[in-house]
Amino acid sequence: MKSVLITFDQAYYDRIISLLDHLNCRGFSYIEQVKGRGSKKGEPHYGSHAWPAMCSAIMSVVEDEKVDPLLEELHKLDIATEKLGLRAFVWNIEKSI
Amino acid sequence: MSLYEGSVKKPIMTSLCFLAVVIMGLFSLSKLPIDLYPDFDTNTIMVITYYPGASATDIENNVSRPLENSLNSVSNLKHITSKSSENVSLITLEFEYGNDIAEITNDVRDKLDMTNSMLPDDAETPIIFKFSTDMIPIVMLSVQANESQSALYKILDENLVNSLARIPGVGTVSISGAPKREIQVYCDPNKLEAFDLSVETISAIIGAENRNIPGGSFDIGNETYSMRVEGEFDDSRQLQNVVVGSKNGSNIYLRDVATVVDTVEERVQQTYNNGVKGAMVIIQKQSGANSVEISKAVMKVLPELQAKLPSDVKLGVIVDTSDNIINTIDSLKETVLFALLFVILVVFVFLGRWRATLIICITIPLSLIASFIYLAITGNSLNVISLSALSISIGMVVDDAIVVLENITTHIERGAEPKQAAIHGTNEVALSVIASTMTMFAVFFPLTMISGMTGVLFKQLGWMMCVIMFISLIASLSLTPMLCAKLLKLQKKQTKAFKIIYAPVEKALDALDDGYEKLLNWGVRHRWTVIAGCVVFFVVSLLSLSTIGTEFFPSQDNGRIAVKLELPVGTRTEHAQDLATKLTQEWMSKYKDEIKVCNYTVGQAGSDNTWASLSDNGSHIISFNISLFDVADRERSLATVCDLMREDLKAYPEFVKKQVILGGANTGMSGQTTADFEVYGYDMNATDSISLQMKRELLKVKGVSEVNISRGDYQPEYHVEFDREKLALHGLNLSTAGTYLRNRINGATASKYREDGDEYDIKVRYAPEFRTSLESFENILIYNNKGQGVRIKELGTVVESFGPPTIERKDRQRVVTVSAVISGAALGDVVADGQKIIKTLHIPEGVTVAVSGSFEDQQESFADLATLGLLILIMVFIVMAAQFESLSYPFIIMFSIPFAFSGVILALFVTNTTLIVMSLLGGIMLIGIVVKNGIVLIDYTNLCRERGMSAIQSAIAAGRSRLRPVVMTTLTTLLGMIPMAISQGQGAEMWRPMAISVIGGLLVSTVLTLILVPSIYCIFASVGIKRERKSMVHKREIAAYYEAHKSEMVSRKKSKTEN
Repeated sequence: MKSVLITFDQAYYDRIISLLDHLNCRGFSYIEQVKGRGSKKGEPHYGSHAWPAMCSAIMSVVEDEKVDPLLEELHKLDIATEKLGLRAFVWNIEKSI
Repeated sequence: MSLYEGSVKKPIMTSLCFLAVVIMGLFSLSKLPIDLYPDFDTNTIMVITYYPGASATDIENNVSRPLENSLNSVSNLKHITSKSSENVSLITLEFEYGNDIAEITNDVRDKLDMTNSMLPDDAETPIIFKFSTDMIPIVMLSVQANESQSALYKILDENLVNSLARIPGVGTVSISGAPKREIQVYCDPNKLEAFDLSVETISAIIGAENRNIPGGSFDIGNETYSMRVEGEFDDSRQLQNVVVGSKNGSNIYLRDVATVVDTVEERVQQTYNNGVKGAMVIIQKQSGANSVEISKAVMKVLPELQAKLPSDVKLGVIVDTSDNIINTIDSLKETVLFALLFVILVVFVFLGRWRATLIICITIPLSLIASFIYLAITGNSLNVISLSALSISIGMVVDDAIVVLENITTHIERGAEPKQAAIHGTNEVALSVIASTMTMFAVFFPLTMISGMTGVLFKQLGWMMCVIMFISLIASLSLTPMLCAKLLKLQKKQTKAFKIIYAPVEKALDALDDGYEKLLNWGVRHRWTVIAGCVVFFVVSLLSLSTIGTEFFPSQDNGRIAVKLELPVGTRTEHAQDLATKLTQEWMSKYKDEIKVCNYTVGQAGSDNTWASLSDNGSHIISFNISLFDVADRERSLATVCDLMREDLKAYPEFVKKQVILGGANTGMSGQTTADFEVYGYDMNATDSISLQMKRELLKVKGVSEVNISRGDYQPEYHVEFDREKLALHGLNLSTAGTYLRNRINGATASKYREDGDEYDIKVRYAPEFRTSLESFENILIYNNKGQGVRIKELGTVVESFGPPTIERKDRQRVVTVSAVISGAALGDVVADGQKIIKTLHIPEGVTVAVSGSFEDQQESFADLATLGLLILIMVFIVMAAQFESLSYPFIIMFSIPFAFSGVILALFVTNTTLIVMSLLGGIMLIGIVVKNGIVLIDYTNLCRERGMSAIQSAIAAGRSRLRPVVMTTLTTLLGMIPMAISQGQGAEMWRPMAISVIGGLLVSTVLTLILVPSIYCIFASVGIKRERKSMVHKREIAAYYEAHKSEMVSRKKSKTEN
């Protein structure tokens, strides 16, 4: 089991949910309002006057074999619409109930 | 869920909700009545008191004064004026606008009840009369007749008047110029004398003969019969055979001493239409009824009524006031549609996408249509003000929608799906859209709070704008995002045709951006030069202010002229009529391209003519009603024709008073402006001479075409002064003698002649040929109780004297109003000249001269608007300060406002337009529009700085990026106004100055704002940065000092605590 944290511009929400459905990743946790900025080019998403855009985050814990297709799809999405901003991070799940 | 999220997710609900609004709006539109102005509540009450037999001075002292004194305490009273003339006192109470007239009427009634006991015993109870513009006739019909002329009154009364009066909303219908039938018994005084008869005896005998007397019932056998004496004449010729006496054993018949003529009444108003004798039917509306609807209804029934009339009776229309209203509203509707078209074009050019343009096309009409619901609910009408509001708002309602649309487009271009882009894009700008609408509320809401006459007009404008802005705000936050989600998509391919058409436009816009960036780059680096230049420009524009004239309301070309001419009092009707015919011929040939109908009325009106009894009439007065062709169909304007007519009238010195009234009536706002000067003073001779001097001087002033003095001339009249001793000697008294005189001249009504259910008077008097010299009056025989005849010349003398004119008072002081009719000059200038004249006059003690009338109204309105302007500035400042959370940014933005005013002044100067209330209103609206541009610029500059750019960089970047939205919103408002500014249709005089001032002000202020605001921003920013640096240096110094002296301070504290 691995945890995938996807942070993305709010506008991606619908597309990411359908992607998760498509890949049979049922479980996820969704944080609607997330602020942040990219390490290189990513525009700040602060929901402020200067930077009005906002991010959201989805944490989905999936089986190991599903991680790669998911990341691949997400990467495609990011390349298609670079300006919006989408990142995914994966780490191990030690235990769960 | 927020409004925009909800509406994007529920497109069916959103679109149907707005569809419902549109349907309701269109339904309301179909029900809305059409009128020229918003409904004015009556603000005048008249109190009429009859005191028969009293002279003007008696009336003034015994009736008008006590009533004035008590009525003066009614609340909200503005002016109290009175006219005391023979037999009648007429008090006019003028109230502030916007008060409930019903309540005021009750107050007035209470006061009158209190004073009733103070009035003379013979005075009748005062009558309260509410006056309003409703009293002005809405339709005047001409009637031409040949054979039916003598029976015209009856024909019209039965066939026309009754049917017209039944139309809902019609108040009174009066006929003038059609005399009533009357049977005249013309006696020969010489024959009467020979047979020892008098007018009284004859009249009594006719009365006694012309009767039916029931004789009672009687029984014959089983039957009961009634007995009657039927003596009433059934043919007027029977009168001739009435036996009036006997002399030397033979009967004297009426035909022996008199001639019986079955004809019409003697003294009557005569009406001529285009030189042909006929009659005039005047239709007045009921209070509150809609003129256009009534006149439509009247016009609809006219063909039917015409069919019922005898073939030689022809009906025509002299004046139909609804023509002007309908034409004015139609031409305004046209400008609104053009404005809409222009705005859509601008949007398409700037956005370059048909889908975006379509969205704007849907949202603009929506807000406008929704405002009709407001009009219908509040019972308002489609009038000049409400339509102007639509025209003004077209350019503004797009702004909100465009801001939302642009941001959504940015999101889509970044890669978001239209639906998500619509939600998040709207979310980002929602606050600033609300804030910018708030600034518009800050401008327009105070308009709803003005009082006075301007208040009546602007209240509606203010509410309309607020309603439209509100709907547009809601639509831009719900409907626009929804439509964007459905219609907008990422443009991936452009068609060839589009590229060919749009490429040059794109190029031009890019060039504009680049040019502006360069200019701005120079501007922010030469800030003080920019400011100095702007200040110089402002001062120069102020210089042209002195050449701009001021006016209250422009006179409107409604194609109507009324001419009132007075010959010396006592001139015979025939003479007046000759002159009128001559004038008609002259005018009809001279102005044949302009005059449609020329109608005139001469003579004394009967008492049953409501219309005539309200206006001046008499044998010496000629009143013309002239109707011109539509503005578009003639070359010379109404004012020119009026001026030419005034010139023509100068060739007729026999008229003592000449008045050419532009617009047909002096009341209302359509009339020609007059500069009124009131001469107060008790001494009539002193005030008369001052007003005469003023008239002479005023006529020399440029632009004054006519001067009228309100006080009438002393009326020449003949008095019979009876010697009471001689009367007593002959066993007579004054009233018997007076009645004898009256019966011979005015006639005695002997009886009524009945025919077909109608009654006609039988009048006995001297034949006309015996009523033309003073001698024949002196020879009138008066019989005493003994039957002895005494001649009037033995009882007294007939002397010529003068009756005093009507005494006018205003605010409880005697007053004479000198009014100068202005043509081709500004009201303000003429009043200024008038004031100079007043200074040169030697005004005796107890006499004061004041300026009043439209100038007073104008001053009041200008003052009101100035206060309003200040109020709006404060409100706008508050809204902006709240939005920016800063006091300096609003201050920077407000620097653009003075240039709006210099733009207004320059535009008026260049187009040679006078400053009227409407142009000031345009100026006030500018505050909102101009400030909006400033907000857009400053907001984006702030954003750039927050993103880390330097002040100068931010100013330039923001300028470049916001140039298009600013130019676009300015252009939409500007182009929305252009159809109004160049419109030539009927009523254009009213809104042209407003449109011109908005265009001028907006153009100048936008251009300057684009340079000045970034420059001032940079100055403020540099001051801010310097201050910050200073404080940082200061803090560092303090910190260094503290570090250096730390040990001292800490040890001192320590030692203190140790101690």
